[in-house]
Amino acid sequence: MKLDLSFIWTALLQLLTAIPTTLAVTGVSVVCGLAIGTVVALIRINRVPVLNAAAAAYVTFIRGTPMLTHLLLVYFGLPFVIDAICESFGWPFRSVSIPMIGFAYIAFSITAGAYLSEVVRSGLLAVDKGQIEAAYSVGMTTSQAIRRIVFPQAFAILLPNLSNSTISMLHGSTLVFTVSVVDINAKSQIIASSNWKFFEAYIAAAVLYWGLTFLIERVTAMAEKRFQMYNRGGVS
Amino acid sequence: MIKLSQIKKSYGRQEVLHGIDLTVGKGDVVAILGPSGSGKTTLLRCINYLERPSDGEITIDGFTVHCKRPTKADIHHLRKKSAMVFQQYNLFRHKTALENVMEGLVVVHKLPKEQARLRSVELLEKVGLGDKLDAYPSQLSGGQQQRVGIARALALGPKVILFDEPTSSLDPELVGEVLSVIRKIAKEGITMIIVTHEMSFAQDVASHVVFMDNGTIVEQGKPSELFQSPKEERTKQFLKRFAPESAYSI
Ligand SMILES: Nc1ncnc2c1ncn2[C@@H]1O[C@H](COP(=O)(O)OP(=O)(O)OP(=O)(O)O)[C@@H](O)[C@H]1O
Ligand SMILES: [Mg+2]
Repeated sequence: MKLDLSFIWTALLQLLTAIPTTLAVTGVSVVCGLAIGTVVALIRINRVPVLNAAAAAYVTFIRGTPMLTHLLLVYFGLPFVIDAICESFGWPFRSVSIPMIGFAYIAFSITAGAYLSEVVRSGLLAVDKGQIEAAYSVGMTTSQAIRRIVFPQAFAILLPNLSNSTISMLHGSTLVFTVSVVDINAKSQIIASSNWKFFEAYIAAAVLYWGLTFLIERVTAMAEKRFQMYNRGGVS
Repeated sequence: MIKLSQIKKSYGRQEVLHGIDLTVGKGDVVAILGPSGSGKTTLLRCINYLERPSDGEITIDGFTVHCKRPTKADIHHLRKKSAMVFQQYNLFRHKTALENVMEGLVVVHKLPKEQARLRSVELLEKVGLGDKLDAYPSQLSGGQQQRVGIARALALGPKVILFDEPTSSLDPELVGEVLSVIRKIAKEGITMIIVTHEMSFAQDVASHVVFMDNGTIVEQGKPSELFQSPKEERTKQFLKRFAPESAYSI
């Protein structure tokens, strides 16, 4: 067997068309996961009765089970639930009209939500208690204090962890092939088997994932510079 | 102007304030003295409602909160009448000196940005930081940070400013600059309550001195009376500890 270098290039070009799918799955799950994670973190930090127990259960269950299992559970379980609900309300909607990628969005948002809730929680806890007290003392309400004072500082603190989670979600998004969504990985399998050039196609995929990961790291580094500007200096 | 009556505060089963009564008139500068753990910080934080008193009543500027069952709106309203200067400064770390002062004006008082800016610059100049508007707290010395903290408190035009040991985290050579700013605003007739261990400062700035021990007010009065002829034994003992020191200070 000889390595066909030029085919790597050919494969790479063909894989470009699958980038949007990979980015969409990663982006949606991280953004929705961040929203879910923030709500869960706030519930847990404030020990909201009832919801706190539910949130803790959600986090341990999701973190205790593989991402692939989440996808399969959602893919095979959700249609039953949706159809049952729609039927009982007499709505015409049926789960078959949900695109495959929709299941990936939902499942991975749930996955990311659990991991990111811990990231957000540690970020929020790392903000000095004196900051929210100062916000209260200038007359802010709790929600103003959280939005204007606590979140921006927590965000700067949690950026590195968020970046790691985003990279994990990018790599984890390769699991979508199990529900027939064609992302970079799935496309590389198709190219590989239809041209009988497996190694070349997978090298091309690896290069792309590496490039995307590098991009995430660069963006984080820039964001960190921007958001942590206030930490320069170093008196006090 | 400010009236505290029967303020009680417990942490768990331990009561740390045993029914404090205190009246502060408009323009008064009240110094609170007392040994460590006597409840000075707790009392100050109760006035700003950073700590919830278990019982009692707080009245500031005609607005009364019954501490047994206050509503959120009550607390919010009361808080707006006072401003706190913290021992650890607690400047908003992600905001510049100017933004720290502007924040309350824009977010709470809903002042237009430009107006808030002008007022904030004016106040920062007053505390001697006209050249540090765009510095982040991490780029300022402790004394400078505390002066920003004072400007931030002043900006809100509170009925009373509460100082909790404003100079005790500072290096000795930085204490003076902060005290002189406080002295300056005291002269402008702003009502202040200051917890301090700086006896000579209390003596010459305060119009009224309160001595606390063990969660109660042991004695209070004019500085001349309390410092020269304290009546209570505990006050005498406490002041004696500081006597040699005051011989050296200005
Ligand atoms: N969050 C808390 N939980 C439990 N006990 C507390 C808490 N904060 C303060 N206390 C207790 O309340 C009492 C009064 O504390 P406070 O901080 O008000 O004293 P202080 O007069 O300000 O002392 P210092 O001069 O050392 O600052 C102390 O016995 C302290 O241990
Ligand atoms: Mg104290």
